[in-house]
Amino acid sequence: MTAISTSGLTKLFGRSRLPVRPPGHGSSTVVRALDDLSIEVNEGEIFGFLGPNGAGKSTTIRLLLSFLHPTAGSGTVLGHDIVRDSVEIRRRIGYLPGGIALYDSLTGEGLLDYLGHLTGRPPSRRAELCDRLELSEATLRRLVRDYSRGMRQKIGIVQALQHDPELAILDEPTEGLDPLMQRAFYGILDDLRSAGRTIFFSSHVLSEVERVCDRVAIVRRGQLVAVEDVEALLARRKRNVEMRLDGPAPTLEGVPGVSNVVVAADGRVTCQLEGDMRPFLAAIAGSPITDLTIEPAHLEEAFLELYQDAEVPA
Amino acid sequence: MNRALFVHTWRSQRLKLAIVCIGLGIWSAILPIVYGTFGQTFKSIIDSGLIPKELTQFGGGDVFSLSGSLALGAIHPISLILNSIFAVGFATSAVAGERQRGTLEVLLARPLSRWTVYRTLLVSVLVFVGTAVLASIVGATIGSGIAGVADELVPARLPLFWLNGVLLFGAIAAIGLAASVSFDRLTPALGLTVAVTVVSYFLEVLGTFWPDAKGLQTYSIFHYFDPKQVLEGNVATGNLALLAAVAAVAIGWGLWEFPRRDLAAPS
Repeated sequence: MTAISTSGLTKLFGRSRLPVRPPGHGSSTVVRALDDLSIEVNEGEIFGFLGPNGAGKSTTIRLLLSFLHPTAGSGTVLGHDIVRDSVEIRRRIGYLPGGIALYDSLTGEGLLDYLGHLTGRPPSRRAELCDRLELSEATLRRLVRDYSRGMRQKIGIVQALQHDPELAILDEPTEGLDPLMQRAFYGILDDLRSAGRTIFFSSHVLSEVERVCDRVAIVRRGQLVAVEDVEALLARRKRNVEMRLDGPAPTLEGVPGVSNVVVAADGRVTCQLEGDMRPFLAAIAGSPITDLTIEPAHLEEAFLELYQDAEVPA
Repeated sequence: MNRALFVHTWRSQRLKLAIVCIGLGIWSAILPIVYGTFGQTFKSIIDSGLIPKELTQFGGGDVFSLSGSLALGAIHPISLILNSIFAVGFATSAVAGERQRGTLEVLLARPLSRWTVYRTLLVSVLVFVGTAVLASIVGATIGSGIAGVADELVPARLPLFWLNGVLLFGAIAAIGLAASVSFDRLTPALGLTVAVTVVSYFLEVLGTFWPDAKGLQTYSIFHYFDPKQVLEGNVATGNLALLAAVAAVAIGWGLWEFPRRDLAAPS
């Protein structure tokens, strides 16, 4: 089943008679904030939505929530049309906006009660979430205006998830959280996934996307660059290899997945490795290796490689 | 209309509303007392011809009769400012202010249609305006009793007095709310509503003092607020209908515009 589906979703800001430009391309009144976005998010997965600031992440989320109206294309959330059935969609989801603003004159508890009443569903997970995010009763009795940025973010997470939504749309959810709270939050996401909930997770912190997401979509200047399994993306990434030898270097040219082989005079060999490691390991078997370093694959490099591949002249 | 949003709005404004009501009540009580104490003295001065007649009236009010003094209290800048705290201040910030602060995003992420949000805010501001105008009438009644002129007051005419006030400030509130849903930031919404209100008030007052400018009063919504005539039993239903029409047009605009607007990320 599909939790989120978009087809050719496009959003232009400005006057449509004037020339259109993608974000970051010169000056024009019309900005193509999102261009022909087609993605599918499956139920029960944690889906990362990646891209730098201005790439179109928040525009996509705002279209899904009907804060914006699409210029072209269509979309569904939990089977409901994003334009016609937005109220029904918002009944079944939880949303954490990026840089959330809260009602400062309320207490934390008053705010959660108020937003819970507006949602119209019992806050069945509130106690558990507050416990895991270390929001004590005393903290919840204080006015929101006295909260630190991290505490506001924690309240934001609780308001988004307290009614146990089928789909949570989270925009930069760990912004302002300390490392311990980030870990607690990742634990909450793991539990939600185990319970079959779907998470749509927008971020530019690649390490956390790598840590929690099953699949990622990467957007750039309003366009989709790639949608991939995180594992597949990491497997495709070129890893840097460095060997030290006290004898002749193995022949690595022509070995599948190996490229950029450099043999230095001091007996050091460097190369790049992509995909299945077994041909490489077979090629170096028996070589007089004294030290071998293979950098673990990180999403950051894969992300940058994809971005470089998609680079278009400005 | 959404009950939770209405209750939240009421709670967040109740202290302000209480202060406005007390202020309007006291102000409205003062003018009958002034009339009861000095009305005849003023009238004899005016009758002597020392002061031009144009300067003895302000916006259809005076201090030579109870109805005139109540009308003067209702149209006076003090009353305008106090009523505008909700009709202009609350109405313009209801959507544009939330949007500027970023809290509109949290609100609209709930299962509420924009029509529901708009209708709830409209009902809220009309309740606030209605309560404030009621406080004026209560104050005026108490003041009349203190001054010993309560027998000049016809209680059956007070509901129409209230309705005329609610329609005037309700129309201003509807304009404010329409501006609020039309702009991304509070400043232009507030600026537009204040401009409409002040220019309209200026045209009415100018026409009172300067006979050549009397024709301009037609373009002022304050011209259709005539509490003196209402309290004397001369109800011009056309005036009430016109104020209701202004409110209806502004509400229609808000209901049409708000669901169609793109709500970009708060800056």
